Order: sequence, then C-alpha cells, then structure tokens
Amino acid sequence: MLTILSYIDPGTGSLVLQMIAGGVAAAAVTAKLYWRRVRRVFRLNRPEDEGTPS
Amino acid sequence: MDEQTRAAADLEPGSFRDPDSRVLRSEGRIFRVLSERGFADWRAFAASALFAELIDEGKLIGTREADGVELGASPLHGPVAGVLEHDLVPFVSYPYEWTFGMLRAAALLQLELVRRSVEAGWMLKDSSPYNVQFVGARPVFVDVGSFEPLREGEPWAGYRQFCMLFLYPLMLQAWRDVPFQPRLRGAIEGISPAEARNFLSARDLFRRGVLTDVVLHNRLERRYASSTRDVKGELKRAGFRKELIVANVGRLERLVSRLRPPRSDSTWSDYGLTTTYSDDDAARKRRFVADAVRAEAPRLVWDVGANEGQHSRDAAETAEYVVAMDADAVVVDRLYGELTGERAEKILPLVVNVVDPSPGLGWRGLERQPLHERGRPDLTLCLALLHHVSISGNVPVASFLDWLRDLGGAIVIEFPTPEDPMAARLLARKRSHDHPDYRRDWFERCLEDRFEVLDSIELGAGTRFIYRARPR
Repeated sequence: MLTILSYIDPGTGSLVLQMIAGGVAAAAVTAKLYWRRVRRVFRLNRPEDEGTPS
Repeated sequence: MDEQTRAAADLEPGSFRDPDSRVLRSEGRIFRVLSERGFADWRAFAASALFAELIDEGKLIGTREADGVELGASPLHGPVAGVLEHDLVPFVSYPYEWTFGMLRAAALLQLELVRRSVEAGWMLKDSSPYNVQFVGARPVFVDVGSFEPLREGEPWAGYRQFCMLFLYPLMLQAWRDVPFQPRLRGAIEGISPAEARNFLSARDLFRRGVLTDVVLHNRLERRYASSTRDVKGELKRAGFRKELIVANVGRLERLVSRLRPPRSDSTWSDYGLTTTYSDDDAARKRRFVADAVRAEAPRLVWDVGANEGQHSRDAAETAEYVVAMDADAVVVDRLYGELTGERAEKILPLVVNVVDPSPGLGWRGLERQPLHERGRPDLTLCLALLHHVSISGNVPVASFLDWLRDLGGAIVIEFPTPEDPMAARLLARKRSHDHPDYRRDWFERCLEDRFEVLDSIELGAGTRFIYRARPR
C-alpha cells in the first residue's frame, strides 16, 4: 500500500514521474557543470567566461 | 454546533480538506484553528527565516497568533491547540475568474514557495490555486497551514495537483486556445493527465514539458492505478533527495514562465478605441462617473463590464477597493498586465460574465462561494452594459434592475437607447418584437420603482443616458 504523504492524493504514477523528471533535470545541471570543466581543459571558454568559477 | 457557537464564529465551508487546520470567520475577522500537529508546525515555521522573508516580500498573508479568542466548540476532529488570525483579503476570487496572466502568476508563486521551502527544510502539503488570492494585481499565498517540515527522501506530494490545477489549464490556453476558466469552474479538482493528453495534438508533443508532464505522467498514472506497491519506500531506498524536487520545480518554473496566452483578437479588445463617443462626450461621461463615486464614497465598488478599466481607475481614486469585472478574458488580462506594472493593489480584475456569474461549487455547493456572497458592493457601475445584458443576454430589463436592487448598494447605470449605434447593431440581429422592454420610458419606470434617481446626464445627442441612483 502507498503510505499517505499528505491529505491530498499524490498519485503513485505522479511520484514515480518525479523521480524520472527530477533525475533528468538534476542530470542536466550536472552535465552542464562538467561540460564547462571540459571546455576549460581545452581552453574553449569565451573571454567573459574566464573569470567565472565552475 | 449549538446556537451560541454559531453566533460566535462561522466555519469557512471550503476549508475542510486539511484535517490539521480549519478557517473560521468571526465579526469580520478571519481565524485559523490548528490541531496539535498543525500548531507545532506553525510555531516552528513562524520562527523560521523563510516565514519572515515571505511576509516581508508580501508573498504570504499577514498572520499572527490570536490569544484569548474564544471560538466555541472545536471544528477539528480533536482538540484545538492554537488559533491564528490572518489579514483580510479585500475580495475573495477563484482561479476560474482569473485571467491567463493571473493563473500564471499564481503558479509561479506556488512553485517559488515550494522551491524556497524545500531548500530551507520545509514543504507545502498541497498545490491548490485556491490557496492563492489576489490583492489588486498582487498574488498572495493565504494557506499558512500548508507549510510542514520536509521529510527527507519523500517526493513532492502536490506535483499532481499542480499539473491538474495550474499547468494543464495554462498549457491548454497557451497552445490550443482552450479557455481554462470553464474547465476549472466545471471541475474543482481540475484537468486530469488523461484529459490533458486528449486535448493536445501530435504537434504539441514536441513542446516543452508535454512528453514528461503530460504523456509520461498519464502513462505512469495508468500503469500504477491499481498498484499496491510501496512506491514511497522504494523511492526513498532508490535515493530520492530533495535536490530532485528543487530540480523538478526549477524545470517547471522555466516551463510556466515561457507560456504565453494566444494572440487572439477578442470582441472587445479594441472597444475602447471604437466606441461611438465623441471626445467631449467621453470626458463628460468620465466626469459624471467620477463625481458619482465621490458622492457615494463607497468602500467596495463593482465595475461590471469594466472593459479597459478607465472607470475602475477613476473609482479607485476615491473607493477603498474596486472589482473590475468583464466577460472578455483578453481585455481583463490586458488590464491585469497594466496593473501589475503599476504595482496597483486597489483594483482586482476578474473574468466575470454578469449573465452567468460564478455559482456556489464543490461539496454541498458551499466550498466556493457565489460571486455575490463574497462581499456586496456599496456602488455598482454598469456603463455601456445594459444593451449587452438585455439584447444579447436576453435578460429582461426589470430582472436586471431586480438583481442590482438585491445587491443593496447604489448604482451608476447607462441606458443606450435603441437608436444608439451600438444598441442598434445588437437589435439588428433580432426580430423587431424580441425586445419590447428595451425602451427608455420602461427602463426609467423600472429604475424608479426600485431606486431613487439622484442625478442623470444625457450624452450622444440623446441616444445615451446615465443615472446615479440609490436603493429605495
């Protein structure tokens, strides 16, 4: 049985979706972070990005 | 409840869903009674930095503990542990009376509150737009009882409700030009994922959020519909962290803020420019209305058929609060946009069709109040309105005046004669005998039966008359 989190029905499918959607969004943030590091390694950053810590 | 308690406080019939919190009205003040759990949550929340910030930013309704208030028998299942008092909202409104811009602003407020709450270790129990009210053009969150401590590892319980009552209505309006107001008025729970999926076309599948929040959401809902698995436990074990909620909410914030209403020309969107008034007449009309508002010194004004809101703005110079209603959502949304820019808090723009006003809705028809039960106007403006109500809406002139008389306040009402070009245009579509009561002499007789006429003005070379009158 789904334990009730709240007085409204959160919807079992809706909970599973959050794992997927939240995971994708979180992965995107992580990927962006690493992408900047990769660019820095290859010195591809534009001059205005140089001072920005990643 | 015995008679004594009933006299002391009226339970707000729409607040029964949360077992830890109920709202009561007493002598024009608004209180919230809390269970032991609800009160403990409140004490902790009230001491948090988040609470102070949200109050300071005007995003949360002003709330304080009400000591020594006796409200009679407990309306909760258990004992009342504490009582709060809230600041009053000048006029309560519901999502099915809001424009696209208003529902979007409320959605962004809801998302911001979830994100900031989660980051600070709090959570909101639900995601209902009925927890948001507008003070003029400013959205304010009113359900202080919705905040509770975040339980690590648990997902956002209000996500589904957010989709059904905020996201899908906005998507349908933005992409399919399907007005959300009739759907939200028709179903207090909103639009289900399956319904939203059916409304969208193949082309919409490529739009931001559709695959995730509609298609996949609908699939998962169907798949897990009869499941008895402990999904909450599974998610926790799989490592569901609050960062996932923040990421998900951030994604929804970007999605919602990019939704725009469709660019459609409404019937009235250029009405202000195409009226048949000469400049001189328009100025005289404006002066007459402004003088009438000053003479009546009203607290609450209803501007019915407010159009672009010129008279509402004039009325707001004197009155405490003005509700500017019009049936045309495009025109009202434009007014809302202007008021937002001006940070105006004295004019509440609402989408209301006066011949089909909001009824009582929800459980026993009491959860959401009819329009006229949320505060009677001291003055009602009906300018360039009667010909629409009578000729297009088929409401008898006498019946419309009965309604105005029942509202109880003074009125400023305009009568465009059948010779007036705008009235003539509407009459031209009807048979000659369809509106025997649309005559100036009959209108004046009906008016004087119910009201005492204090002042009047003739415009448009005798084709339009405006009256200021008080109920007899």
